[in-house]
Amino acid sequence: MANPLTLLLDFDDQYRRDVDQNHGFLHRRDRRFAQQQEAHRQPLTVTAWLASLHALNGQRQVASDVDPRLRRWRQARWLFAGLGAMFGVAFMLGLLYYDGGRQINVTLLIALVGLQGLLALFTSVQAWLGWQPWRALFGSGRDDDSALAPLRPALSARVAHTGGLAFAFSGLLTLLLMVLVQDLAFGWSTTLQASAAGYHQWIAILALPWQALWPEAVPSQALVEASQFYRLQQSSGVSNPALLGTWWPFVLMLWLVYVLLPRWVLLMLAALQLRWQAHAALRAHPGWQPLHYRFDTPWVDTRGGDDGQAAPAPAHTVLSPLPAGTILIHWAGAGMNSVLLRAALSADPAPLQLRAGGNSSLEEDARVLAQAGQSGQPVIVVARGWEPPTGELSDFIFDAREQGATALLALVPLADEEGAALADPRLLAQWQRFVDRQRDSQLLLCAPRADAQ
Amino acid sequence: MDDNGKTENIDERCTRIAQPRFAVVGHPNKGKSSVVATLAQNDSIAIAMEPGTTCDSLRYPMKVDDVTLYELIDTPGFQRPRKVLAWLQGHSLSASDRPDTVAAFVTQHRDDPRYHDECELLRPIVEGAGIIYVVDGSVPYNREHEAEMNILRWTGRPSLALINQIGPDDYSAAWEAALGQYFQIVRRFDAVGAPFEKHLDLLRSFGQLAPHWREPLDAALEYLQALKFGRDSQALECIADALIGMLGHQETARLGEFESAEPLLPKLQQRWQAWQREREQRLRGAVEDLYQHRRLQRQEDTLVTPEGGDLFSERTRQLWGISKNQLAAAGFGAGAVGGAGIDAMALGHSLGAGALIGGLLGAAGSYYYSGKLTKLKFGPLSGGFREAVYGPLRDPQFAYVVLGRALVHWYQVSQRNHAGRDVLVVTGADDHWLGQMERNHRHGLQKSLQALAQRRFEPSKRQRLIEQLEWAQQAFAQWQLQAFQTADETTTD
Repeated sequence: MANPLTLLLDFDDQYRRDVDQNHGFLHRRDRRFAQQQEAHRQPLTVTAWLASLHALNGQRQVASDVDPRLRRWRQARWLFAGLGAMFGVAFMLGLLYYDGGRQINVTLLIALVGLQGLLALFTSVQAWLGWQPWRALFGSGRDDDSALAPLRPALSARVAHTGGLAFAFSGLLTLLLMVLVQDLAFGWSTTLQASAAGYHQWIAILALPWQALWPEAVPSQALVEASQFYRLQQSSGVSNPALLGTWWPFVLMLWLVYVLLPRWVLLMLAALQLRWQAHAALRAHPGWQPLHYRFDTPWVDTRGGDDGQAAPAPAHTVLSPLPAGTILIHWAGAGMNSVLLRAALSADPAPLQLRAGGNSSLEEDARVLAQAGQSGQPVIVVARGWEPPTGELSDFIFDAREQGATALLALVPLADEEGAALADPRLLAQWQRFVDRQRDSQLLLCAPRADAQ
Repeated sequence: MDDNGKTENIDERCTRIAQPRFAVVGHPNKGKSSVVATLAQNDSIAIAMEPGTTCDSLRYPMKVDDVTLYELIDTPGFQRPRKVLAWLQGHSLSASDRPDTVAAFVTQHRDDPRYHDECELLRPIVEGAGIIYVVDGSVPYNREHEAEMNILRWTGRPSLALINQIGPDDYSAAWEAALGQYFQIVRRFDAVGAPFEKHLDLLRSFGQLAPHWREPLDAALEYLQALKFGRDSQALECIADALIGMLGHQETARLGEFESAEPLLPKLQQRWQAWQREREQRLRGAVEDLYQHRRLQRQEDTLVTPEGGDLFSERTRQLWGISKNQLAAAGFGAGAVGGAGIDAMALGHSLGAGALIGGLLGAAGSYYYSGKLTKLKFGPLSGGFREAVYGPLRDPQFAYVVLGRALVHWYQVSQRNHAGRDVLVVTGADDHWLGQMERNHRHGLQKSLQALAQRRFEPSKRQRLIEQLEWAQQAFAQWQLQAFQTADETTTD
């Protein structure tokens, strides 16, 4: 099973790489992966998905100990562990400092053990609540957008508990060493008016967890009575000094059960919390839902290829002055009924108006050509400028030349049926290109005369 | 055998033949490509203005996980219909051989450049495609199209005529009467303006052309509908992520212990504003990409953040398109939502006083926030430096401006057809669409936006924010519909 932290970071990295990709690409890629997994009866997991992407990209899965973002936390754990171990030794040496003048106060030991427990509990509660009173130390905005940001309290708790555990462990070892190399004399003392019986009762409660396991580690009432001391007391008042050393199993178990064990349990809990929170953060990650949508939803493509048409060629033909002509051919009947247009196209008050193209038959077109060809005068062909010139018009011009018509042919595209000149440059361009394509020097592109309208 | 000499697998062949294909044909420049662009949701399809622009048939398959459910084929327009018809008439003996004669025409002229366009448009039909014949309903019916319609009738293939309204005039009735004589089904369709439901209706009618096409077409419709819903919810996720980023964004800089913060402020302010604009543009791009509008030209006022942090300055209001009354009402409304809680606790006995108090608090809150952006916050001193932090803008009005702009853009993009070539003008939401939201939904949204602006938003709440934005999206669409209906009624009056 992949380390949840590495998985989270890996997923976040992939999400950031994908964030600027287009949705179509991502959907196709991830849906294909989901289908492959299904076909091979493999589980569809994020881990497998990441592994497949890494394989495709020739990347290696980043090990958790290599990831620099986790390395910082790992280094912090080592540092805290080292410091904890050092402080543990120093703390225990200080606590068990014994110059032979006075017994080591068990009450103080118990109080410090309690303080340790409280500190450990505070660390965990702080992490569970997500409270980060120390956050300002790292700078307010730093790493806020990192996937690890919500895990920072749990990560910190793990670091702190590691330090605490090292502290407890080194403290325990120091205690054992001190027991071995020194004759430690323990006693108990308090300002409060506590009787030895009451104190013993209290000690017995503390020793309950190991009472059955190690009865020798539960101080007897006689030992408690014998080891009470007062600072103003000149002599220890103990008839058998060896008796005072018999506290050590209790002290050892006290440290083991109330310092080391809780730290270890809380460290395990912090690790579990981290694992659980990493899973939760993965599920709450902005990339999680979209990824599963892409896994589950069929990829629908309607676009086809994007291989659109080539841009039209540049237009070269320019508008020429309208030649004087007396024959008007209305292609598909364009402007046939406009009196104004007639005047704008020909100086002749009654020019010959012919109709070709459109719903005329091919035979009618041929007759029109024959009639126009006989005159030998320039012929004006009027067409609807808002409709693109077709192959039939091209054929008509070609047929005119085939039939021996050598006179000028003026092509006049209109903007409307009334005969306005075509002004829209986009529409005009298609006529310019049409004339370009005919490669006919006697074919002109013209506009109706404005002065006649 | 195909061109490469490979023998086609029989299953492949059956699949290919059974799959519905539709050749979109017609006279040049009558909107064939517009129809294909809209139905294929592809804005890269060139809308030909000139014969020769659409030179070859282009196929646009509708695929679900690489399985083609139907295929649209954009074809060049008829160039020489009268000559083609004359050829067909000259080579046919009886009505029964007409489809074969058309096929023979394609075979004979496939290398003839004069009939290139006709061959390109007839080939898919000869190979089994259905016919979608497109005419322009804004120009009067003209008999010159009859040669084209006759050729198509000769193919014997299932056919549907589509009256595409390009210009403002309407001659659809005359077209319908004429087309009804040649085609099985006649439909009106505005390729640029038809809403998505009309696209689906049109595709459904394609399925009526042949009984075995209905099933794949119905399946395709379901997928297309799901795709639309999916896009709408993915757009919400994009908007949510942008809001999370924009509302909580901070700009930071290091400042020496004795260095004055004054010169740093305008620099950080500029960086903050540039970041906001860039993030908003990224959101626009993501939403457009989601709806496959890749060549969209957009015109939109740049997101302007308040000068000097003053939301109540006349200039800010003008730039955001918010009137003083609307701004006050927005503040009032937001506060009233909170105040409504007082009413609820008093079981309504406060006679609405809670809402009034809340309203006043909301408005006061807006004034309270107005100067906050001008200030820098400082981190603890570390190594002789401290961190100066600028942002976020905590006034919730900013969140509503960003959200309003995002919803306007989303709505326009989601409703836009891929045949549209006009510039997308994204205007501000110049009215308070929030009024369409239910009070509890508005309250929830308000809380989330406030948490974002205060950087107290937990990542686990993202899904909740998306749900709240879904309510906002619905309210916005409802508001748009009402505005459209009101405008429609005014025009009718």
